[in-house]
Amino acid sequence: MVSINYATREVSCKIVFYGPGLSGKTTNLQYVHAKVPSDTKGKLISLATDSDRTLYFDFLPINIGSINGFAAKFQLYTVPGQVYYNATRKLVLRGTDGLVFVADSQPDKMDENIESLNNLKENMAEYGYDINEVPIVIQYNKQDLPGVLSVEEMRPILNPCNWPEFRASATEGFGVFDTLKCILKIVLEKAKTGGTSSNSKPSKTTEGQPATPPPTPNATPMATGPVPTGTPSYEPNAQTDTGPIQQPVMTPTPAPALAPAATHTAPAPVPEPPVPNTMAPADQETPALVPTPMPPQPEISRQEVVPQTKRSYRPFPGNTVEEEKNMSSSDGYPGTQMTGQLSHHGSTGTNSDNQSNDAKAMVPRMQASKPRRKRSFFKRLFGLK
Amino acid sequence: MSDDSLIIYEEEIQRIDSLLTKLLKGAEAKCALLVDKDGHLITRQGFTHSLDTTALAALLAGAFASTKEIARLVGETEFSVLFHQGKKDHIHMSIVGERSILVVIFDDRTTIGMVRLYAKETADELAKVFSSLNDRPQHDGPEVPADFADSAGEKLDDIFQD
Repeated sequence: MVSINYATREVSCKIVFYGPGLSGKTTNLQYVHAKVPSDTKGKLISLATDSDRTLYFDFLPINIGSINGFAAKFQLYTVPGQVYYNATRKLVLRGTDGLVFVADSQPDKMDENIESLNNLKENMAEYGYDINEVPIVIQYNKQDLPGVLSVEEMRPILNPCNWPEFRASATEGFGVFDTLKCILKIVLEKAKTGGTSSNSKPSKTTEGQPATPPPTPNATPMATGPVPTGTPSYEPNAQTDTGPIQQPVMTPTPAPALAPAATHTAPAPVPEPPVPNTMAPADQETPALVPTPMPPQPEISRQEVVPQTKRSYRPFPGNTVEEEKNMSSSDGYPGTQMTGQLSHHGSTGTNSDNQSNDAKAMVPRMQASKPRRKRSFFKRLFGLK
Repeated sequence: MSDDSLIIYEEEIQRIDSLLTKLLKGAEAKCALLVDKDGHLITRQGFTHSLDTTALAALLAGAFASTKEIARLVGETEFSVLFHQGKKDHIHMSIVGERSILVVIFDDRTTIGMVRLYAKETADELAKVFSSLNDRPQHDGPEVPADFADSAGEKLDDIFQD
């Protein structure tokens, strides 16, 4: 929630960067920290594991100084992206004023994007927040990589609500500031309108109605790339389905990223009407993509889709097939059998598995100390050998 | 979410500051901070010049949030008091009302018992202040300027340049 301190004349807002693991949330903050003037930024604090994976959150305070007598302060947070850190991820969401959803544009990461977005909605709902009333900006990150999905391909899946969206590359820097400026402007506008009236009883005219439509950001969000959106706004759309995002129909397609998974098992029957293949590779011609209203689809839950790939757990970035097989005996969350996996991963000596690195990083805390030599005390006591 | 906005006025801040000062004198602590559970620093008193209080507030709120989850796992609603013991300096945290945390940093010139005693007393007083703040019908302090967001937007454009 926005904190307005009339004594110190400060307006303080909390922005959370959300998204799947390894999508670039921390990199966004690192770029911002590296590029903004030193008198504007505070110290970047990162609560991370030894393998530089966010364990709790990253925190970067930004103070843009006094504006008409009031100082605007922003607290930028990231969340841990991995599935099994949901408890801490939810804690960071508390009291957020604005969200940046950092999506990974790589074709094989769409599942994780969808899962993370659904998880965001669940966590917000648990706090009693309506996701339609919270400013959200979508960032399609890693657009500098070859073979990534285009915004047109991702928009129908990740941004059906027409939130402001940006192409970006956190490592190269383009789109990072545009994303940040957009969310900050929306949040400030909302803070002003909400802050002046929030302490009084809400009037009947505002109660039960959608939040006051915030001003559309002046700059077209697609400053870094031509993305033909309409007027970007997070204005609640009553007709927009904000329920869990359904997995796009994962029929076996020629898309190279999805083909290997589909070849293992017989494909499930494709429900009618067929949905355009939005998972096609970026370089493939995909004419007549209809971005906005998705055609009516039968209810397909994630559980129905998962068996096609024979995965009983969420795949983690960098996992090899052998490692996935080893983890398949668990309850789906490798973290729960961390110590069991430690020796295996440790013996391989590879750095390819980030998840196992996380596990290794927690070894000292998770493992018990060496077994005590209980008998030695009694031996000494009774003089036994 | 703006309905949950934390709005503090000068009058309340003065009352809070006087309570914190009284706490510091009584408990002989080094400094005291009042932190929102979301990580916003509300006010501070004592020797805080060498501290990064913004980061401290965020981290302390995070620590408190995580212990709340731990409490929930063991069947408690929340742990109302948290204590970190260091070699020289120690931190005592206690809940104030619904949404704030009173943080007291002290060293070996005083004892945990004294800090705890005064912190509890102060927390009760602070809870009354926040309660009166919630009952306040409407603000009578200086308003956020109408063109605040527009001016901030221009400043953001200046600051965030690639």
